[in-house]
Amino acid sequence: MSKRIVLAALILLFVLPNASSAAFTENSEEFQNVIKQLDMQGHAEDELSSCSVKQLYYEEVLEMLNSGMSEKEVLQSYIDEYGQAALRTPATDKSGWIAWGMPFAGLAGGIAIVAAWLKKVKGKGTNNQNSPQVKWESEAEKEIAEQMFEEERRKHF
Amino acid sequence: MYLIGNITLYLGIAIAAYAIIANIIGIKKQNNKWIESARGGVLSLVFVSLLASFLLLYLLGSSQFQFEYVAAYTSLNLPMVYKLTAFWAGNAGSLLLWTVLLCIYAGILVYSKEKRNPLMPYVSIILLLNILFFFTVMVIGGNPFAMTEVVPADGKGLNPMLQHPGMVLHPITLYLGYVGLAVPFAFAIGALILKRVDAEWIKLTRRWTITAWLFLTLGNIIGGWWAYLELGWGGYWAWDPVENASFLPWLTASAFLHSVMIQERKGMLKTWNISLIILSYILTLFGTFLVRSGVLTSVHAFGSGPLGTYFLIFMAFMMLLSIYIVTTRYQLIKKDSIPIETYFSKESSFLLNNLILVTGAFAVFWGSMYPLISEAVTGTKINVGPPYFNSVMAPILLLLILLMAVCPLIAWQKATVERFMKNAIWPLIAGIVSAIILILMGVKGAFAIIGLASTVFMFATHVQEFVQGTRARMKATKENVLKAVYKLTRKNQRRYGGYIVHIGIAIIAIGVIASHAYSEEVLKTVETGENIKIGNYDLTFNGLTEVTKNGNGIVAADLEIVYKGKDAGSIHPEKIFYANWEEPSTEVAIKTNFTEDLYVVLSSWENRDKVTLQVKVNPFVTWIWIGGIIMVIGTAFALIGGKPTSTRVTDPLRQGR
Repeated sequence: MSKRIVLAALILLFVLPNASSAAFTENSEEFQNVIKQLDMQGHAEDELSSCSVKQLYYEEVLEMLNSGMSEKEVLQSYIDEYGQAALRTPATDKSGWIAWGMPFAGLAGGIAIVAAWLKKVKGKGTNNQNSPQVKWESEAEKEIAEQMFEEERRKHF
Repeated sequence: MYLIGNITLYLGIAIAAYAIIANIIGIKKQNNKWIESARGGVLSLVFVSLLASFLLLYLLGSSQFQFEYVAAYTSLNLPMVYKLTAFWAGNAGSLLLWTVLLCIYAGILVYSKEKRNPLMPYVSIILLLNILFFFTVMVIGGNPFAMTEVVPADGKGLNPMLQHPGMVLHPITLYLGYVGLAVPFAFAIGALILKRVDAEWIKLTRRWTITAWLFLTLGNIIGGWWAYLELGWGGYWAWDPVENASFLPWLTASAFLHSVMIQERKGMLKTWNISLIILSYILTLFGTFLVRSGVLTSVHAFGSGPLGTYFLIFMAFMMLLSIYIVTTRYQLIKKDSIPIETYFSKESSFLLNNLILVTGAFAVFWGSMYPLISEAVTGTKINVGPPYFNSVMAPILLLLILLMAVCPLIAWQKATVERFMKNAIWPLIAGIVSAIILILMGVKGAFAIIGLASTVFMFATHVQEFVQGTRARMKATKENVLKAVYKLTRKNQRRYGGYIVHIGIAIIAIGVIASHAYSEEVLKTVETGENIKIGNYDLTFNGLTEVTKNGNGIVAADLEIVYKGKDAGSIHPEKIFYANWEEPSTEVAIKTNFTEDLYVVLSSWENRDKVTLQVKVNPFVTWIWIGGIIMVIGTAFALIGGKPTSTRVTDPLRQGR
């Protein structure tokens, strides 16, 4: 009985790693996760059947995953070889902060400018309401005066 | 032919230069004869550019391979329609297309009913500067009438990917949009030079701007549709630098179309509006520069060459000219306007809308240029691809959708929270209920559900606007529903046209979110009789066929489809091997229904009975094209009957929606 258990354990020991490492295909989630992130030397958006570079990457990634490497390790192996250019996005660590953060910094800056401008315009509105209103004798007088102001303004500037 | 073609280009330069000088003399001397002469010059340019265009079409159609351009982009066996569309397949032809459209636009303008407007000579000068530049560039770097040294027996032919109906529509519509933005730009600069900074130039160019925006929208949608059908990677927008370059002016022009309403109503945002239209115009030049400079890798690029440098110089010149004119007139622009009474008003919401659209444009610009920036600063090129743009743009576009949902409910001048909440409650409930239904249906993905629910909220707001307006009209006039809807929309085409555009955007948003979050993909090798299961589909492979058609070898897979247990016909993805083109092309087979697309690509094969297929199910992609059509209808509706809002600076107390 004990011989059988030892034999079974030995068989499992040999079979299990192979079973787990041979499980990945092009449809595996792990494979898709890796492929999605690789730039494949600018061929990531190419149609697979007509792009030999993309096909090569597919084979390599599958091979690496099936040899027991994790998603992170596969990606890192490409980064080691090609640098950050191996991936389709800037790094998410400190070195990529400017790339990722700039659009949101732009948004924050824009919000600050708009808020300050709104405050100014609203304040001006309050001031204007407090200032004495010019009263015109008639609409015609008002139009003529406004035309004169406009002419003067154009000359001045 | 060679002589006539080249004479038209040189004549174009001479006439454009003359018309600019004639306009300047006319303005200086206040002499109408010179202005008339310049106008005649513009008409001559229309004639000359049309002559050049028809000549090129004739050369292409009659396969005159002694011309470099004809030999490079056509071949004897190319169908006539693609021989003619090769007009804009290459660099030189696309420059001529730009020029002829610019000349036609200038011609329409200077002979319009506004031709006596004092602004017109200035507008004419700005457009003529553009025309002069394009004719010059064609002569020095992109001549469509250049001859070959040896006449080939046959041409190289047109890239098979360009042999698609999209080739007929996409470049033309996009160029109509690009060129169209030069008109409001010219008016803005003209108005500034003439120190007429009221809303007149905006009213005069409203239709031009909307037309340009309509064509940009159409061009981008058709481009997406074409990419989806032809490129075979299953998507419609790759965030490619050149695609981004066409999206940028669309974003800034969208911001402009909203902010001009504030200037028309309240005399505010004059500097901002001028800056936006300058930016939109400069971005069209930037797109042209990107396509022709080779600084960034793109499937749309014409390759590197000196043309990029010429465009960069011209872009810098126009930008500096604009900045100089704006800064010298800044004090004049800073004129009094009606103040905002409260932060909670339509004016504020439009400002936010502008902020988000411009931030979106900045994000797209930043992402497109970052590889260059990183290489210049650190010496290492960092890629910025679709995952970056999807991550960055998703929250920005979500904010925009939410703003579109609430903006129609906020009153001008001074809105009240109570009234807003009263109007917002039903659309908000619709959004929340849709989120609950999605969750109950087992739909996964928090961000996608938030996006879809927000879109439903936005959609419901706009439907409610139509319903409330119709009800109010029925109550007041006792009209029936149909008449009330008709009258309501006809009386305010600009507003309701805009709402239709927003509804189109909502439908596109559903398509984009669903197809990004819930698409499925399988890559599988099958033998005859075996099947592939994906989503609700069951595909059985029946074998490979091979035929020859028009000299091209076509290999097709025959697949039977069963959809939800019922026979749904067959599908035949193909691979075409061309007689005169090195690379084979992949013809995607698509089975479309209202909620999803079955998208099949023949990837490779070992023999007639064993193939590898790439199968995708893309949900709601059709909605993107439907939404695009609705957007175009809405824009056309606003364009045909919409009248600009009158300037209401004389009545600061006016308020209400």
